[in-house]
Amino acid sequence: MSITGFAHKGRGVGVRDHQLILPSVVCSTHVSRKIANEVGAITFAHQNGCGIIGIDVPGVDNFFIDLANHPNVQSVLVVSLGCETIQGPELLPKINRELSRLLVIQESGGASGTYESGVTQAKQLRDNFKSEKAPLDKLIVGLDLSRDVPGLSAIKTALTVAGFEVVSESEKAVSEHNLSKLMSAKAQVVFSFPDENQPPSGFPLIPVINIASTSPLHMALTSEFDLAQDSTVEEIVALINAVANGQKTKSELSGIGEIVAPRSVRSV
Amino acid sequence: MLSSAARDVEKESKGAVAVSHDWSQVVEKDHQRIIHSLAGNATNPNIYATIFLRLGTPAEDEVINLAKTYGKTKLIEVSLSEAKSIDKLKEIAIDRANTLLTEAKNEQRVAAPYSAMVLGLECGGSDAYSGITANPALGVASDKLVAQGGTSILGETMEILGAEHLLAKRAVTPQVGQQIIDVVARYEASINYEGIDIRGAQPSRGNIEGGLSTLEEKSLGAAKKAGNAQFTGVLEYAIAPSKPGLYFMDTPGHDIEQLTGFGAANVNITVFTTGRGTPTGSAVMPTIKVATNTEMATAIPDIIDLNSGTIADGTQTLEENGELIYKLIMDVANGQLTKAELGGHHEFNLSRLYGSSL
Repeated sequence: MSITGFAHKGRGVGVRDHQLILPSVVCSTHVSRKIANEVGAITFAHQNGCGIIGIDVPGVDNFFIDLANHPNVQSVLVVSLGCETIQGPELLPKINRELSRLLVIQESGGASGTYESGVTQAKQLRDNFKSEKAPLDKLIVGLDLSRDVPGLSAIKTALTVAGFEVVSESEKAVSEHNLSKLMSAKAQVVFSFPDENQPPSGFPLIPVINIASTSPLHMALTSEFDLAQDSTVEEIVALINAVANGQKTKSELSGIGEIVAPRSVRSV
Repeated sequence: MLSSAARDVEKESKGAVAVSHDWSQVVEKDHQRIIHSLAGNATNPNIYATIFLRLGTPAEDEVINLAKTYGKTKLIEVSLSEAKSIDKLKEIAIDRANTLLTEAKNEQRVAAPYSAMVLGLECGGSDAYSGITANPALGVASDKLVAQGGTSILGETMEILGAEHLLAKRAVTPQVGQQIIDVVARYEASINYEGIDIRGAQPSRGNIEGGLSTLEEKSLGAAKKAGNAQFTGVLEYAIAPSKPGLYFMDTPGHDIEQLTGFGAANVNITVFTTGRGTPTGSAVMPTIKVATNTEMATAIPDIIDLNSGTIADGTQTLEENGELIYKLIMDVANGQLTKAELGGHHEFNLSRLYGSSL
């Protein structure tokens, strides 16, 4: 089965055509969300960008770069405060130069001035640079193995036979860190096995397909899962193809899921 | 991981405020810090009612049970495992929120003594003016409140590093003075443990561009927010004081983690001095922004409530400006909205000592 995606200059062919409003620091997350809500873009709340030290500085910097360069991203507006550790003006040259812009709140007339310029710039990036449809040669499928999965090797084999490249992360109990790592590995569709005591997972830039366990929580939430626990590998492969071609997942429809940047050290 | 649902409830209800965070409702290394942060903010005296969107985990029970011991705030739980879908969870929560909002509108303001007032003292994006304008002017206002029987809390352990011996001399007892010294030493060790010299990482680049040279210089200026009153006690992060007075709380310098710690400690209003200008606010407290310099206050007036740059300009004395800050605190206490509230700012973070690794 063939997959048609969107040609994103410098970022590759993606299966979604998202615009990302990227706050380089917690202080700009609110303005970023106001802009994103107004123009229909994606953003995320986070607590990073300032007061970070040690390995977290390159760690968070690289995480932001990976988000901005993800193939599912059409364009990026970085919103910076101006005095933070991870400086927006330094972040911008490290991300794909195509369709990437920067606003600095302290130099753009404060929160209201930044909001107004942000809406204008985001709309220009969206309307003046329509993405062309393009075939996708190799879909990277991420596996979020937050719980133990019986028959995992059969699933991996089926995905490989279907022509997908498979990357997996297997930190247990919560999905957020696995999803962040799969994003950095440029997974364009994630197939998630959330922990028995966690809800379906989601990641705003990436369609996440959730497969239920038989836990009481998952059985109570069957309508939020894309597939039941006893789904066949054929059903899994078919759904991944459909989602890659545009069908929305349950997590995309509900909007569940946060982007969590990996942190190793306390804030100062 | 129900933050997106909480934000949707905020959008679709008639005035509820969402608190987004990245906790996965399971026990992690920072468990006590997290449950005190959440339970404390949920029961801040500014809050009429709190709706918990929950999965149904035992870790969530701990937050809610702790909140029940804290105050008079109405606590309502809406559980995903009972609602059975995200849409239904949101529908129930929006319905409950709207009922509670109607009830809250019927509440009347009542006269309160100064002892009911807890003020948070914060600075962020400091510059070379901070220590000579806004911070000492805030100190004037803080001293006045404390003298009238109110409470002030100074935070940001990193920002008293190098000035701790001066603050310790102002403690009511030698024991409290020693606690101040110990908390700073504990903080520095927690950073050095990671192999990092904090005096190399601070002041931040923004601070240096603002004209600050060393952490000691930044600290001597930052501590001026607490005026000259005696220190009654030292508070752990996100723990409320038990009686009025001036306190030091062990918080990160990270602006939002500090606001979260204050919100959990019954702070009614935070005054936030800033040299570079920052728009952030809190979900549970009005946050008053005081500019350290006239240039920034003029350039970004939509985020600044009061200008202390007039002290450096020579058009106001420290005492005159401090009086204005005090008056603004009282006006805000009586209902005047801050710029951060008008802009809808209510950033929120959980503070962790062990990173995000579980």
